[in-house]
Amino acid sequence: MDYKNTLTTCIYCGCGCQMNIETLDGQIIGVWPSKTQEISQGKLCIKGWNVTSFSDHADRLTTPLIRKNGELVEASWDEALTLMAERLGAIKTESGPDSVAFLASAKCTNEENYLFNKLARAVFNTNNIDHCARL
Amino acid sequence: MIDEIRKIVAERLNETDDKGARLDGMVALRRTGPAVAPHVFVAGDDLSTLEINPRYPLMTVVSRLHKRLPDIRLGVVARGCDERAYVEMAKRNQIDPERLVILGFACTAEEALECYCAEPFPKNLVVGTPAAPGPQNPIVAKYDTMTLAERRAFWKQQFVKCIKCYGCRNICPECFCEACAMEDKAWVEPGFLAPPFPAFHLIRAMHMASRCIACRQCEHTCPAHIPLTVLYDLMRRDMEALLGYVPGADLAALPPLSVTLEQTPLLLGDAHDPATIPLAPIGR
Amino acid sequence: MGVEFEPKIVAFMCNWCTYAGADNAGVARMESPSNVLPIRVMCSGRISPEMVMRAFRAGADGVLVMGCHIGDCHYSTGNHRSVKRMPLLRNLLATVGVNPERLELTWVSAAEAPRFVQVTHSFTDKIRSLGPLSQEVAE
Repeated sequence: MDYKNTLTTCIYCGCGCQMNIETLDGQIIGVWPSKTQEISQGKLCIKGWNVTSFSDHADRLTTPLIRKNGELVEASWDEALTLMAERLGAIKTESGPDSVAFLASAKCTNEENYLFNKLARAVFNTNNIDHCARL
Repeated sequence: MIDEIRKIVAERLNETDDKGARLDGMVALRRTGPAVAPHVFVAGDDLSTLEINPRYPLMTVVSRLHKRLPDIRLGVVARGCDERAYVEMAKRNQIDPERLVILGFACTAEEALECYCAEPFPKNLVVGTPAAPGPQNPIVAKYDTMTLAERRAFWKQQFVKCIKCYGCRNICPECFCEACAMEDKAWVEPGFLAPPFPAFHLIRAMHMASRCIACRQCEHTCPAHIPLTVLYDLMRRDMEALLGYVPGADLAALPPLSVTLEQTPLLLGDAHDPATIPLAPIGR
Repeated sequence: MGVEFEPKIVAFMCNWCTYAGADNAGVARMESPSNVLPIRVMCSGRISPEMVMRAFRAGADGVLVMGCHIGDCHYSTGNHRSVKRMPLLRNLLATVGVNPERLELTWVSAAEAPRFVQVTHSFTDKIRSLGPLSQEVAE
């Protein structure tokens, strides 16, 4: 029996509510709001309470997918990143930086999103960047 | 008190019973840095991190482990409310009494006051001296003097704050149904915030009538500060007056709503003529 | 303006006693109020609080739950459940400030066609005098 509560911060919005993800032998079995944290004080919203529902969801993507002949095919990260660099670079050269847009994820950390913003503005020279935080 | 609890937990974890079996773990709270969360201590663990605050519904942890690990034998460091939760859960096959040892401790008088707790100590009291019961919630105490219109106004003002997080249900040790009526589109229409009066909260109140053990977890976890336990306290009072049932009091007592009149009769009025069944308490 | 309020009544009737009683009332050409919308269920014990609340939410001004007399239940003790549950729900309605008189539990056997007519008339009259639930809840 390996029972654990792992303290973490809700990924859904900027409030920063904390919760304990309850696991038994590596499987998530529950969520406990953190009663010792000053921000959320043992309270969560519906998203926080269900924060683990996607973790082992059948629809969750665990590898990059590349469309080949109209079909999405599983690919390695190296393959996906190489393809993206090539194609995006070519599009930029061909049609200019504003022909590309960047959509960031609210489920990434601040630091990741900062870097993503740098990639858009400094590397690609475009201000076409937005995020998905419209849950 | 906490030192005594830690000492007794250490002893119990190392004890063997007459068949030579040991407890597989002790469910309690553990401090990690500034954070405290439920934990299962095993023999040899550092028990200086064992805590008793803040209150978590530890019987839910026991239940989750009992269901997943059919042979596990656990102990639990429990307050009065945890023990009452155990009673209603064991009755409904959520906890196996044969595989649980309750190490009870008494709440402080201040805690009893804060929780409006009528019984701030468990029957399996191992540590501490029972504090006097807390007072009745002041809203409950004056409730009978409120007119229907005043009650309506009070609850409308409360229920409109609901953000439908289902936290009250999620934290509740007595909410363990696989399919929840509050998630059924037939009873709670999706797409309304706050949920339309009266379904959401009244469904929960009815379902809590023979289960609510007044642990106040729902109210503490409610982000909208809805005084849910006022509603449930009143339900508990009606349940006791009408059917003589006090959730959490007795493992052998049958939940009256699930059994016949022969098993638990009506205490007020005549079942042969429902018009004679008064509102409880009479005159309300 | 000037139009008299006519209440909507949802009446849950058990298949074995009350529904047969209502049927017999019809066969005997006894008049029962058209305000009553019958819903046939297999047993009054089937009526959950959620169903009553949904009826109110759907626009009912009053809800009648009718079943076999105690001792006559087709399933022996189905109505034992309703006789505990419905009074408790009436208490809850009173607790949240809805007039508990809007919910009534009563027993009508298959042989009691006149009683069916009397019960539905008096309940309809009572709800008519209470006025619309929507008005009460909106206040």
